[in-house]
Amino acid sequence: MQTPFPSPAGTPTGAASPAVQLSNEPLATTAADDGVAYTDAPFKSPAGLSSDPAPRKLHPLVEMHVERGAFEELERRVERNGPWDDWSMYQLALEAEEASLVSDFHALRCLSLLPHFEPLPHQVDTARKVLHEMRGRAILADEVGLGKTIEAGLILKEYLIRGLVKKVLILVPASLVLQWVRELNSKFDIPAVAQRKAYSWDNDIVVASMDTAKRDPNRAMLLDNEFDLIIVDEAHKLKNKRTSNYQFINELRKKYCLLLTATPVQNDLSELYNLITLLKPGQLGGEGDFAANFVADRRIPKNEAKLHEALSQVMIRNRRSDGGVEFTKRFVTNVPLRLSPEEMALYEGVTNYVRNHATSESGGDFTSMLSLVTLQREVCSSRDAVFLTLINLDKKMAEDSPLRPRILELVDLIRSIKANTKAEKTMELIRSIDDKVIVFTEYRATQDYLIRFFKEHDLSAIPYRGGMNRGKKDWMMDLFRRRAQVMVATEAGGEGINLQFCHHVINFDLPWNPMRVEQRIGRVHRLGQTEDVQIFNLCTLGTIEEHIVHLLHEKINMFELVIGELDEIIQQLEKEVSLEQRLAQMVLESADAEELRKRIDGLGDALLATKNQLHRENQP
Amino acid sequence: MNTKQVQKFVISYLDSMDCHLIEKSPSSVTVKLSPDADRALTNRPYYWSFVDRTGADPETMTYRWSFENPSMADRASATPISYIMTESGRIIQEDVYFGSRRLHQLFGAAQQSGRCVTLFEEPPRGKGDPLGSQPYTAWLGVNFKVGFECDMKREEIYGWGISLATGVINEKFMETLRDRRLTPRLPSNVHLLKNGLSLRKGMSQLELTMERKLKTTDFTWAVEAEQRRQDELERIRQYYNPMLEHMNHPDQQEQKATLSARFQQREAEIDWQYRPRVSVSVTNCGIFHLPGIH
Repeated sequence: MQTPFPSPAGTPTGAASPAVQLSNEPLATTAADDGVAYTDAPFKSPAGLSSDPAPRKLHPLVEMHVERGAFEELERRVERNGPWDDWSMYQLALEAEEASLVSDFHALRCLSLLPHFEPLPHQVDTARKVLHEMRGRAILADEVGLGKTIEAGLILKEYLIRGLVKKVLILVPASLVLQWVRELNSKFDIPAVAQRKAYSWDNDIVVASMDTAKRDPNRAMLLDNEFDLIIVDEAHKLKNKRTSNYQFINELRKKYCLLLTATPVQNDLSELYNLITLLKPGQLGGEGDFAANFVADRRIPKNEAKLHEALSQVMIRNRRSDGGVEFTKRFVTNVPLRLSPEEMALYEGVTNYVRNHATSESGGDFTSMLSLVTLQREVCSSRDAVFLTLINLDKKMAEDSPLRPRILELVDLIRSIKANTKAEKTMELIRSIDDKVIVFTEYRATQDYLIRFFKEHDLSAIPYRGGMNRGKKDWMMDLFRRRAQVMVATEAGGEGINLQFCHHVINFDLPWNPMRVEQRIGRVHRLGQTEDVQIFNLCTLGTIEEHIVHLLHEKINMFELVIGELDEIIQQLEKEVSLEQRLAQMVLESADAEELRKRIDGLGDALLATKNQLHRENQP
Repeated sequence: MNTKQVQKFVISYLDSMDCHLIEKSPSSVTVKLSPDADRALTNRPYYWSFVDRTGADPETMTYRWSFENPSMADRASATPISYIMTESGRIIQEDVYFGSRRLHQLFGAAQQSGRCVTLFEEPPRGKGDPLGSQPYTAWLGVNFKVGFECDMKREEIYGWGISLATGVINEKFMETLRDRRLTPRLPSNVHLLKNGLSLRKGMSQLELTMERKLKTTDFTWAVEAEQRRQDELERIRQYYNPMLEHMNHPDQQEQKATLSARFQQREAEIDWQYRPRVSVSVTNCGIFHLPGIH
């Protein structure tokens, strides 16, 4: 590389130049009278102009470069005697230039350009610090839920406005690509593009998944380029120096660089060292120096004050406990209800079936046993859900299986059920809330049933599920916002559903994975929610549902955990087996309700212990 | 820019482009674009090449632009592009506020079509000798943007002019033009003085003057940036040099080469990021014939 800094707005020098710069802005061309279209001549190397001597020294340290494209055009037009532009347009051009002028080094200009969006104070502070003190190379390590994406967006926007950044690469997990693009587009008016096809790379601001980017031919092409700014989300995946991810980021040519992670140190201090070395080699000294100066044991630092100081020059970690971020409150109400005798009969029937079936095949296939537990959970939801599963089970069985008649018995029990206690209760709740409500269920069949049921009662409800494509999801959200009082959703995770305009959640049934419960609530209870959030858990007494509600609500009190706290707890606990599987195992292995309750309590205690341990670790 | 300034800017642009304003209020404008404005703003190159090749009558787009700052809530509830269908066709509704993409595009479009002018000041009407002839001096007016850049950036604008007759430089040239009535046609009873300077000579005089002016400015920012650059360089040297020194074994040659390439890359990045520089660019320029001998 000869000139390491081409004008940021110009064509990169060296190997990068063949890449065609396809601007997102329509290329404004003025068709002149003689048919020649004048386009803005891209800024070539200043020395390339015939009349310009070598760049001039203004100061021993500073050269002056002159770009006089407009003047050269004036000369050409004089030769051809026109065409001439309009005087008022000439003045407007200057007015536009004045309005966009970056008049000082420090102010955050981007704030005035985002009139419809107010970042939180800690986000603005972070952006300022990264721009002015950290010089655009930083690790943003806020705890979950504090808006790292917003901070990165502010920094990117500011650099774009100042013309210091043009070519940007944003690397994120595949599942977050679209979310990033939408966020940058809608909140920041930044024309970011998701990488889909080879030609997407030609855009100035590209969001791509790390896995795609590091694969050839993309890899070779990206390494040939120069980037004014690189942003890596979920950067803790870069902690190991020997991985291809790490080496890829290390090799990329970049000016500014932001690494985003909520968990900068998980196991090992050397991981933190690697992350920082990626950003600023030598910040913590050589590898040997670091070990000697700062590491007492793999997980235990020494000279903490000094380490903190060295870290604070490259890393910002805002914590929820720092305050400043006010989340509204959550109010949780458990709504206990008794199943009708017919429903209870079905529940008993299914439970017996599950028990017998599980014991008859004990030691057998555990996953097929897991699906049996699902049956029990489905009964607590709706007869429609359990019906579908039973039918599928029946289809899969051999013609002469002794279990078939038993399944048919259960189906008969379903036939005798005329009303859904839970649905009626839900209806009652919605009427009394008299405001927008989102109802979550785990099962498609229940979702369909509920929408039908509400419709019969003159209540319009909007479905929402994971299988819908993006456009349909947006449409459904829009309908819910404008037209309907109720949304019935099966999917809580996934990207892009933000329903801050609603603050009532009904959990028609509860997932066994607390993270999924948290995701459900997170749809409405997030930054931007102005009201307290009301959560209702429907809980059928005398069923496993009662145990789950007991575990989640009374035992670990998960509904009142701070946002983002739960995933840390679960992460710690789920090292081997998922929580869901553990629960299923307990259900199958327990002889009676009493034993089940005890075992679930044990699990609750383990969760509590983890929570307390995390609390201690997070104390500064 | 506040709402009023944005509104004024947009209306002036549309007027200059001969667009048809269907409705106009302080908070919004409904406009049917002229063909030129449509070409500049709607990003429909295929459509326009079709019109150009077939000679079909162009159908330009109609927009309704609102200037009020939309609140976040309103924005969230509005789909990004909305249409109204009317008898005369489809109207696209958009928010145009300072910071919006559309206004940014209008800025670019104005700069694209307001680059070079040749203008004459209109002589005051009814005055002077109808048979006499007034002498006019040609000025080269240039609007410069100066960027002071390192890892940060700051800009200034200068609207200067130089008399092509005498070489006199007016550093408030653009301001003095604002109150004058300018026309693209040569007025009657006017004669143009012979130029003493070529355009190019005038331009280099302006640049030289700019250079002299900039030399006297405060370079603390550059000294500080250079200090940061040196600090950064020192930091990576401390990191890479010991590692390179330890790689003396013949088997490590390849590894050493890779590492020192990485070292050089990091050095170049630091240079790219921090090295102070000043860039001068011409926003737009023109030849202005003004009365008098200067």
